[in-house]
Amino acid sequence: MHTQSAAKKNAQWVPLVQIIMLFARVGLTSFGGGVSAWIYREVVTERGWLKDEEFLGALTLGQVLPGSNVINVSIYVGYRMRGMVGSVAAVAALLVPPMVVIVLFASVFHRFTQYDVVHRLLEGMAAAAIGMTASVGLRTAKAAIAKQRWPLLMISAVFVAVGVLRWPLVPVAIVAGAMGLLISARTRADA
Amino acid sequence: MPDNLYLQLVAVFAPLSLLSIGGGQSIVADINQQAVAIHGWVSQQEFVDLFAISRAAPGPGALLTTLIGWKVAGWLGALVASVALFVPSSLLAYVAAVAWSRHNRHPWHAVAERGLAPIATGLILASSFSVLRAASSTWIIWGLALVALGVFIARPKMNPLIVLFGAGLVNVAAGRIF
Repeated sequence: MHTQSAAKKNAQWVPLVQIIMLFARVGLTSFGGGVSAWIYREVVTERGWLKDEEFLGALTLGQVLPGSNVINVSIYVGYRMRGMVGSVAAVAALLVPPMVVIVLFASVFHRFTQYDVVHRLLEGMAAAAIGMTASVGLRTAKAAIAKQRWPLLMISAVFVAVGVLRWPLVPVAIVAGAMGLLISARTRADA
Repeated sequence: MPDNLYLQLVAVFAPLSLLSIGGGQSIVADINQQAVAIHGWVSQQEFVDLFAISRAAPGPGALLTTLIGWKVAGWLGALVASVALFVPSSLLAYVAAVAWSRHNRHPWHAVAERGLAPIATGLILASSFSVLRAASSTWIIWGLALVALGVFIARPKMNPLIVLFGAGLVNVAAGRIF
């Protein structure tokens, strides 16, 4: 029953090893944060496992639930590809390799940060990661307003509220989500 | 409070798991309070160092918890603290994923996705903007972020690691020159 509905939108069947490789790679290489942007790139842009709107809908839900939204969206992607086993594989692959690395990293930390070079390298990488996150934001914004115009207003409102005014994320997401559902229900996508 | 260190880790991190609404950042202050003032697992300076490592290393920022568990009780402590933080919220997210996908044939499911997608886009843009504002905002950091943005828009499928390391090296070089 579950596997049937999970297989509905994506006829393709993804081998478990591909899910593990993808999430392990993201977990180990996502320097500078913006991990959900990495997962979007891999799952939507590169492989087309999920459609843009489905991924972003799940990401919004993951934001208002407890827990890291990166982990919540990984659980969703894993589930849609391979059911419960897929969820467990995605989360374990995303978390375990960087956990091992971070502890090893912390063991040598004091020798490490004395070097200004390391600090500047990480700072520059984090700057580029910001650029990558922004590019995913702009890309999804462009996709959202291709069919209809109202999402532009919603995107701008959420950006200003959380990014500029620094209002708390969860109440903003809940209010904007309710408005989005209302508007979406009253408009036709392909009108 | 239980005497066993592992039980203490579970008692601290499992409730925080379900309180971390809106992401791992919302509980950093609580973790700080519990680890430093209440349990004395690490000093404030150690906490700041561990937080900095969890930011610098790849992977989700929530790995701060792994590091505190490791400081308290070695590799097993790292495992216990991580499981306590990640499992409760993940079970909830799993139930939500099952419930959300169960009805995905219904027309309202597509309507709901279309209604919720712009929120995620707004939050992605907001997060990149607030991280940039919080970073040491020198012109080189803003410049690197903008150049990377241009590269990723022009070449969406390019390997991000190349751009990231390139930006890191430019920042190192800039540190030598200025």
